[in-house]
Amino acid sequence: MRLPRLPRPKARHVGGVLFGAGLALLLVRARFAPALGVEMIAAGFWWWARATDEPALHVPRWAWLRRPAAALWLAAALDAALPGPGESVAPVAMLGFWWQVQAVLVVWAALELLAALPLARPFSDLPGPLVARGFWLPALLPSAGFVLLWRHADVWVNVDWVRDLAALLLLLTGSLAALRAFGRRRWTAGLRWLVVWDGSLAGVLLASHAVPAPVAALLWVGACGTHTWLLVAELGGATPRRGPVMATLWRATAWTTSTALAWPLLVWGAGGGPGRGTLVLVLGAFSTALATWVGVARMPEAPERRTLARPGSGLSPSRILPAFVLAGAPVALASAWTLGYKPGWLPALVALVPALAGGGAALLTFRPEPLPEPGPWARAGQWARRAARRFFRIVIASERALLGAAGGLLRALSTPLRDLHTGDAQEYLLFLAGVAVLAGLLPLLR
Amino acid sequence: MSVAHPAWSVLLALAAGAALLFVRRRVPPAGEALGAALVLVPCGAALAGLVPLGWTAAPLVAALVVAALAQEDADPLPGECALKLLWVLGGALAVSAAGVALLTFATGVASAPEQWAVLQLGLSPRLVSDIALPLALLAGVVLLGGAPFHFWVADVFQGVPAGLAPLAVAALQAAGGAWLVSRLAGIEAFNGGADLAGVVLRTAAAAALLAGAGTILWQRRPERRVGTLASLQGGLALAVLAVTVGRGRPVEQAAAWLVPWGAHLALALAGAAPLARLSAMDSSPGGPGAPLFRRHPLSALAGLYALASLAGVPGTPGAALWLDGARGLIANGRSGLMLALALAWLAAFATVMRELREGFGARTEGEPVPNHVPAAARVALWLSGAGLAALGLARIVLG
Repeated sequence: MRLPRLPRPKARHVGGVLFGAGLALLLVRARFAPALGVEMIAAGFWWWARATDEPALHVPRWAWLRRPAAALWLAAALDAALPGPGESVAPVAMLGFWWQVQAVLVVWAALELLAALPLARPFSDLPGPLVARGFWLPALLPSAGFVLLWRHADVWVNVDWVRDLAALLLLLTGSLAALRAFGRRRWTAGLRWLVVWDGSLAGVLLASHAVPAPVAALLWVGACGTHTWLLVAELGGATPRRGPVMATLWRATAWTTSTALAWPLLVWGAGGGPGRGTLVLVLGAFSTALATWVGVARMPEAPERRTLARPGSGLSPSRILPAFVLAGAPVALASAWTLGYKPGWLPALVALVPALAGGGAALLTFRPEPLPEPGPWARAGQWARRAARRFFRIVIASERALLGAAGGLLRALSTPLRDLHTGDAQEYLLFLAGVAVLAGLLPLLR
Repeated sequence: MSVAHPAWSVLLALAAGAALLFVRRRVPPAGEALGAALVLVPCGAALAGLVPLGWTAAPLVAALVVAALAQEDADPLPGECALKLLWVLGGALAVSAAGVALLTFATGVASAPEQWAVLQLGLSPRLVSDIALPLALLAGVVLLGGAPFHFWVADVFQGVPAGLAPLAVAALQAAGGAWLVSRLAGIEAFNGGADLAGVVLRTAAAAALLAGAGTILWQRRPERRVGTLASLQGGLALAVLAVTVGRGRPVEQAAAWLVPWGAHLALALAGAAPLARLSAMDSSPGGPGAPLFRRHPLSALAGLYALASLAGVPGTPGAALWLDGARGLIANGRSGLMLALALAWLAAFATVMRELREGFGARTEGEPVPNHVPAAARVALWLSGAGLAALGLARIVLG
């Protein structure tokens, strides 16, 4: 007798469960939880990709997600292998080396998810593998990267060179992401890059200790939550930009939350030394001005479809959320004050300039309807956008060329090794004789 | 040591091997069954620790496996494997026998512990022991299947029936470990020899792990991937031996680790070998999955669990063996070898995930999947997978 067959679960449900469980595991501070979490996220993408109409395109496209998972598995395995405090019988220098390796692995995984490494940087340009809902999925990967950095900050923040390198890469990524968001014409693609910008800046906040880690996380939740909500809401009829009131409300929310995220970092940069401080200030100010400009100017206002509001629609999430988020940003900064955060007034004012300039310029040049004949400012804007697109493409092409050259070199070196033996039985004996002679000679050369 | 009683593991591996005899025919011919039993039972007894493995185990097991494979058959691959094994294992044993003879000649005694004691007195020239010791160890290194001698393991998995290959390979590798243990017994009495043996074993382990990690990612055939995973296990055993010998500790400590290691190897290979036969070769990333994975996903997962245990994926009993090796290397300050071990583990892990993704392939709607998977093969997969899961559970319950 055959057992009744269970109904086959839908791919989008299985992928969703895997993805959701993976994100939840990133918040758990158990040894193997982050590795399992990123592996489940990778599995979720794979599950969706294999169920698309074009699995041959989507499966390889998202296969890179296994790399951060592998890095985290190794970090967790090292943690299991390394002796705990008080039970150490190993040399301290060696333990120090492995702790650094662990920090590198955690940061590697997080940076890759945050598009901060040249290996899979342009993933935010692509929609995700899930049909109809795919275009917002890649935005969740940088979020996973930041959560990883935040929840496992104790592993990497105390290793100076890893922290500094991560901060530098994140600053560059933030600038590139803002530039790309500026260069993209489509609002949804721009939002995906703004989510990368949020994660990058929040990561630098963690690395710089500009504000306590929980405050950095709160500020990130505000900024990233706003951008992600806008992206997700595009599926539900683009409610946040329906009508002038809603559009203005959400523009203000995006502007405020982005400003609140960037402000403590720019304060730190303005008050820091001439080296790191200047770098943070210059790159941070540039990317903040661009990101706030994009967030305010690029949100197209969608026409209201109803002449009369539907009963009960006054309390839709799109209307309630801005109130929470707008209140949340000052609350987060105020909580930093209670934890001893007291910036000088001059750096505090200087740090507000980029966000005010970016958002203010966007408001000044904002037009609900495009002009039939673009004026000089509009033409300059188009030129700037083309330049941003070209610059980003040059960066990506250069990175790919470098990686390709490294891969080619590796292949060139490994090909002769692979050709070392042809598999003939006689050759085995010759090889053995060679190794035996070597084994006899090497001790003599010691 | 962390893996439970080896006899159960070997018994299950034997049962899986026996089940695979029924794949081609409902009732296997008596000659075929007897031939398989003549190889599988001694190999199983050796792996379960029922027969003490000394230096004699290596030539005996090698001769048994070569004799079993060297038969006139319609399939020429087992015969070719026998020839290759004869060349490489026979040659290695001959070279090592020469090394042992040289040591005997230099010291005037035949027993290994006595040889080291004599050499410690400094009565014979150091040059002789420096040349003879690495040569005497060569057979063990070759039998363990670590790179650059990893090819024979992959050849056996590709060319020998899946019912025979796992136990034959595991027994040969265990015999290699036993050869090294018997040759290095008492070497802690000879400081220079312990140092030299430590260097030789560390070099062999590093080469095995690094070359294995490099090659496994390029392997196209699933059978050869399983073979390379087995050779990485050989590298792991070499690393454990290197740590023990290099620190001047009695090699018997490592010998106690090798028994459950061999039993686990046999059980994991017993599931991984049929899985490899039922997986698609070098399938494209978006291609459809193999019939086993599409029609019997749970059986495929049981086989994948065995493969994962071989690779030391966390949550499997094999992970405990890899962790033992890593802890030993860290405790002894061997960062270089530890790095090689980490890379090898990562490559092995990636191979398992690749096998899983390629095995299940792209989702296909509505297409009937042909059932090309014999029930006997699925029984073998379940025996191995369930046995390993029970081992893992026993490890958790027994602490």
